[in-house]
Amino acid sequence: MENKNRNKITINIGPVHPSTHGVLKFVVEIDQDTIKKVEPEIGFVHRGVEKMAEMKYFNSFMPIADKLDYISALNWEVLYATTVENALGITVPPRAIYIRTLMCEMQRMMSHLLFLAHMGEDLGNTTLFMWGFRERELLMDLTEEVSGGRLAPMYVSIGGLYYDLPEGFSERLLSTLNIIESKVKNEYKALSYENGLFKMRMVGVGVISKEQIVKYGITGPNIRASGVKRDIRKDDPYLAYDKVDFDVMTETAGDCYARFMVRVNEILESIKIIRQIIKDIPSGEVKVKVPWIFKIPPKYTFVRQETPRGEAAMYMVTNGDQKPYRLKIRAPSFYTIQAVKELFVGSKVADLVAILGSLDPVPGEIDR
Amino acid sequence: MESSDTIKGRFPTLLSDVVSTNRNETIILLSDKTKLKTIVSEIKNHFDILFMLMVVDRPPKVFEMNYIFTSYSKNDILTLRVDIEHDDPSVDSISNLLGSADWEEREAYDMFGIDFKGHKDLRRVLLPEDWPGRPLRKDFEVTDEVRNWTGLDLKF
Amino acid sequence: MIYDFFYDFLAAHFSPLLSTIGSWLIVFIIGGLITLNVPIFLGWVDRKLSGRIQARYGPVYTGPFGLLQNVADVIKLMGKRFLTNQVIDPLIYNIVPIAIALLGFFMVFIIPWGNANLVLLYVPFNLLFIYIALAVSPLLVLLAGWGENNKYAMLGGFRGAAQITTYELSLLIVFISVALLSGSYDITTIAAAQSSVWYVLYLPITLVVFGISSLAVIERGPFDIPEATQELQAGWKIEYSGIRYGLFFIAEYVRLLVISMLIVYLFFGGGNGLFLPNYLWFWIKTSIVTIFMMSLRWVFNRPRIDQLINIGFNWLLPLAVVNLLIVGAVMFF
Repeated sequence: MENKNRNKITINIGPVHPSTHGVLKFVVEIDQDTIKKVEPEIGFVHRGVEKMAEMKYFNSFMPIADKLDYISALNWEVLYATTVENALGITVPPRAIYIRTLMCEMQRMMSHLLFLAHMGEDLGNTTLFMWGFRERELLMDLTEEVSGGRLAPMYVSIGGLYYDLPEGFSERLLSTLNIIESKVKNEYKALSYENGLFKMRMVGVGVISKEQIVKYGITGPNIRASGVKRDIRKDDPYLAYDKVDFDVMTETAGDCYARFMVRVNEILESIKIIRQIIKDIPSGEVKVKVPWIFKIPPKYTFVRQETPRGEAAMYMVTNGDQKPYRLKIRAPSFYTIQAVKELFVGSKVADLVAILGSLDPVPGEIDR
Repeated sequence: MESSDTIKGRFPTLLSDVVSTNRNETIILLSDKTKLKTIVSEIKNHFDILFMLMVVDRPPKVFEMNYIFTSYSKNDILTLRVDIEHDDPSVDSISNLLGSADWEEREAYDMFGIDFKGHKDLRRVLLPEDWPGRPLRKDFEVTDEVRNWTGLDLKF
Repeated sequence: MIYDFFYDFLAAHFSPLLSTIGSWLIVFIIGGLITLNVPIFLGWVDRKLSGRIQARYGPVYTGPFGLLQNVADVIKLMGKRFLTNQVIDPLIYNIVPIAIALLGFFMVFIIPWGNANLVLLYVPFNLLFIYIALAVSPLLVLLAGWGENNKYAMLGGFRGAAQITTYELSLLIVFISVALLSGSYDITTIAAAQSSVWYVLYLPITLVVFGISSLAVIERGPFDIPEATQELQAGWKIEYSGIRYGLFFIAEYVRLLVISMLIVYLFFGGGNGLFLPNYLWFWIKTSIVTIFMMSLRWVFNRPRIDQLINIGFNWLLPLAVVNLLIVGAVMFF
């Protein structure tokens, strides 16, 4: 028995580790450089969001909703606002719906650019990291211009938006989109997805099979890379997604490289969506008046939307009070991260970093 | 929605309808919690994953378990609602039928203290092992024990 | 031969024993100063270069163009508190950084700085001595990984030993091919033998083999796998802090410079060139090669350790051997 385990070392990857994208922990058993067993541990940034929701007025929960996933805050703001609006039974003005779609897509681009940047960093290419942040910064500046916030914008309010878009915003956005499109298509290509060393690390590593998708309930870009054509934006349209023309990007290989490519293509699709939205954006009000404190009759409200990390959903139970009785949040990363139990086994320690990076988890969302 | 009609048709005595206001959603109510696994293995023929598991604490009588199922190929959402007693919060685990239920059940155990019978690895998932209390229960109070909890007693 | 110069100078005034001691002292001081200043300057070049590549400025505030940033860093590192985990092997732990820095100092000592006379101490077969100074590092890396008593360091140490041992072989074979072609293990003789044709024209593949192998041997990115920041945080350097960590930096940049100088000496004709004086040609070539070798780190990502070892054994080593055989056959007939 002792001889058998002589070569095995148990190491703790995390909770504070440069490649875990936050505070995640993996107890990894390795034999030489090969991983034999993985046990993910989560909960290091558990803030009790679901409990906080039960203690706060509907409006007061918004800043917490956008800190759930701090990389794609606006998507969660929109999701929460839609949940409360559906429960209240109010309709949002069309201009607000279009601007929400636009901001969601901007946020998706920001999230995916951060993913590309971190993928480079995880593989040891710091230049891709800096470049990804450079392009994300342009969008961050635009978000700041619209909302005043960068990471947690607090732009979406229940009943619409807090402010309209500023003057000349769409021109600035369009020129930014042109910059990002050319950078992603040319510079990133040379540095990442057409680079031999990059492909060497990514192709064939961490393949997610269809059985694993069903077993763990993975959603989002990670399954589109495995050839499952599933996107809530297309299949069960919300906001203005049924009025714009876009494709659901899929790859077939299901490895790290396919997941990378799906996100690269989704950035380009988001650019396409934003251009259409800017063209057809209607004029009018951006907000219907909703009082700060209100009551919602006993009701079950379920809303699901596509965040950059997969299908996020909120199930809200109200009981006629000023606060929700129960708010259940489905965070897509919570399911994705379970898959590492199978994905890591048999790969090298260096692949752990690549696979984890390509799954794009956010601990804030996993732990809630 | 045909799939949910099929499921209801197979177990007419156990299942009853609840009106849902949500798009694409069908809610069915299960009257007997011991038949949960039978129903879920039938649901599994029509739906792929357990999308989420929402537990609603309704003291003093019941915990309301909402199993939400979705599938990758269609937009239907099926909510299976089953009440379990507040005094004896235990129910069969479905994690060996649907793998996506694994951590969801652990989270429900973590937050509400519901005992999932037959779960292979029922530990707390988000909170530390020695955290006092089940925080999402309605009777959870922030006591001194909770306030002064430092986690220093944890054994590594 | 700077040692001889000072010896002759001192011997005119003092006794032979005194002049020997005196000239040794002077040469040691000069060598030490060079060893200290190479990382300070090259580190600045590296930071500025990476800054330019990555769309940022690099150091700006400390001194003109941020030139003094690394001086400030050295002072900071010296002022740091000694911090490590409690159960280390103190002898091994402390000896490794000193040994690695001393190896860098040794290379500075024996390599000619652009001219046959500009060498601190002339030793015959100095190419072999430099090879030894490069090749002894897997032992030190393993020792460090062991002495730190840390699992990450252990992994990094094993990776480092495996990687360096793999690539040392190709490095040695490259040295042998070049020595075979020129008939000497003396660096300046090899450079002088290229006065008509640079060896890069005879041995282009060997140059590629040498470039990759040398980067792998000195653990410079993209082949910094033993210290991979994202997986092993700092690999076998993980428990080192303060000036002990600074000593690794000295070694890293000195070795980078030595490698670039060797490329110029062995493949680009050393100081041979038209119109300009020899040492100027040499330094122009060396700067270009150094900047090229540095920028590789900022363009490529790291391969995996098994991939790197596969490349080393399956491609580079056979290529180097075949090249050596061709060179041998040509020289024989």
